[in-house]
Amino acid sequence: MFSPQLGYLDPGTGSMVLQAIAGGAAAIAVVGKMYWRRLLSFLRIRKPDESVRS
Amino acid sequence: MSAKPDAPPIEGVSVEPGSFRDPDSRVFYSDGRVLRALSEQGLADWRALASSPLLSELIDEGKLVSTRLLDDADPAGVLPAAAVLEHEVVPFVSYPYEWCFGMLRQAALLQLELVRRALEHDLMLKDATPYNVQWRGPQPVFVDVGSFERLRPGEPWAGYRQFCMLFLYPLLLQAYKGMPFQPWLRGRIEGVSPAECRGLLSGRDLFRRGVATHVALHSRLERRYANTSRDLKRELGSAGFKKELILANVRRLERLVRRLRWDPPPSAWSEYSATTSYSEAEAQRKTEFVREVAGSRRWDLVWDLGCNDGRYSRIAAETARSVVALDGDASVVEMLFRELRDEGGAPILPLVADLVDPSPALGWRGLERRTLAERGAPELTLCLALVHHVVISANVPLVELVGWLRALGTTLVVEFPTPDDPMVQRLLVRKREGDHPDYTRNDFERALGERFQVERTEPLSSGTRILYFARPKD
Repeated sequence: MFSPQLGYLDPGTGSMVLQAIAGGAAAIAVVGKMYWRRLLSFLRIRKPDESVRS
Repeated sequence: MSAKPDAPPIEGVSVEPGSFRDPDSRVFYSDGRVLRALSEQGLADWRALASSPLLSELIDEGKLVSTRLLDDADPAGVLPAAAVLEHEVVPFVSYPYEWCFGMLRQAALLQLELVRRALEHDLMLKDATPYNVQWRGPQPVFVDVGSFERLRPGEPWAGYRQFCMLFLYPLLLQAYKGMPFQPWLRGRIEGVSPAECRGLLSGRDLFRRGVATHVALHSRLERRYANTSRDLKRELGSAGFKKELILANVRRLERLVRRLRWDPPPSAWSEYSATTSYSEAEAQRKTEFVREVAGSRRWDLVWDLGCNDGRYSRIAAETARSVVALDGDASVVEMLFRELRDEGGAPILPLVADLVDPSPALGWRGLERRTLAERGAPELTLCLALVHHVVISANVPLVELVGWLRALGTTLVVEFPTPDDPMVQRLLVRKREGDHPDYTRNDFERALGERFQVERTEPLSSGTRILYFARPKD
C-alpha cells in the first residue's frame, strides 16, 4: 500500500503501551501476547526477529 | 520540504510561520486566501479523505473547515507542493489558552469525534492538538485538514499522548482541582506532561475518573520506557494491535470528557451582568448609543473589551461580520460561552484575555503563536465600563491606554466614568489618596482628542459616565 514511515509526531513509547492497556479486555490480550513473545524469545524458544516482520 | 527562509518575498504571499511541524501539509496565505501546500504523501492522504463520504459530511455539519482542491496547483513558488488546497477563512484565530473550560471541553469532544469517525473509514488523524480547532462564533470547527491520513493498520494512535497533554490534563486539572488551565497552556506550547499532571494530583485523586489510567499509569509507563530502544510500535502491531483498540480508548475518553464539569463560583453568577451601578434607564440609553454608532456601517471585526455578559457584543453583532468578546475573568467568559452556544447563531467569539497581560507571541522564533492584535486588529472597539479598571486597578497611565487604542487603528466607543462615579470610588478607596491625579475627565478628553476625532459625546443621566464615539486621527 504505502511504505511504513514515521509520522511527524512522536507517539511516545509509554503512551503506546498505555493505549494497549486502556483499550479494554481485547487490548490486554495484545499486551499479554507481546510480553509472552518477549518471554519466548528470552528463553530462546522463539527467534526475536520472528515477532518483527516487516 | 520547507520554505527557504532566504527566498525573496513574493508580494501578497506569505508562509504561516506556525505551520512547519508537519512537512506534508503547510499553510500559506495569498492575498487574504488561506492555502495549504501538500507533499505527494499529503496529496495521497487528501485523496483518501476526499474519496470517503466523511469529508463532505463533516463540512456539511460545520465541523470541518470548507476546503477544495485547486485545479491550478501553483503555490506561487513559495513552497514546493504536489497540490494546493484552499480553506475557508475563519473570522478570528484564537488559542486554547484564551478559551474557557467549556470551550476546551467542546474542542476535545470534536477532536475525539473526528478520530472515531475517521477510523470508521480507515482514516486517522496524525495529531491531536487544540491549535487545530478554531471557532465560528461559539461553534468549534476543525481547521487542519492536513491532519487526516490513511490509517496504518496495527499502529496505535500517535496523537494520544498529545491529546492528554493539551486537552485531557488541562481539563482534569480544572475539573478536579479548580486550577485554571490557561496559564499552563500559555506556559508551554506542548502542554502538561503525564509526570507533571501526576505531580499535581494527590493520592485521593487516583480514585477520580480517568486519573489512574490516563495520568498515573501513563506517567509510570512513560518513565519505564523512557530509554527503551525497542520498536514498540512493531511489537504491538505484530501482537495484533488493531483499530478497534483505538476506538475503545476513544469511546472511553469521550465518556470521560463528557462527564468533566467545571462551574464558575456562585459569586460569579450573582455578579454576572449585575456589576454595573446605574439604573435600567441609563443602561437602556447606553444600549441605544452603542446601537446607533455601531449601526452606522457594517464592521468586519469588532472587539468588545471587558465584555462581561456580552450585552454590547450582541448589539455590535447585529451589524458586524464577527465580534470578539474579551474578558479577563474566565468565569464570565464561561457563562457567556454557554449562553451563546445555547442560543446558537450569533457571530460572537468569547475569549479569556487580560488587557494588561495579553497573549504574547510564542513558540519557535516567537512566531508560532501570535499576539492578539497581530491576528486581526479590530475596526471597531467597545470599551464600556473598562477605563477605570485599567487605569486605577491595573495602574496603566490613562495616556498609555488611549495611545494603545490609537495604535490598534480602531474606531472607538468608549465610556469614561468620572472620579465621582460610585464604581470609581470603590476602586479609589483601595488606593492612597492622590494616587491617580491624571484620572479626570479633562485629562481623558485631552488624551482622546489628541489621537481621535471625537464624533459624538453623550453624558448619561447620572452625570458620572460619559460615552464617546471617536475615529482615529491620521
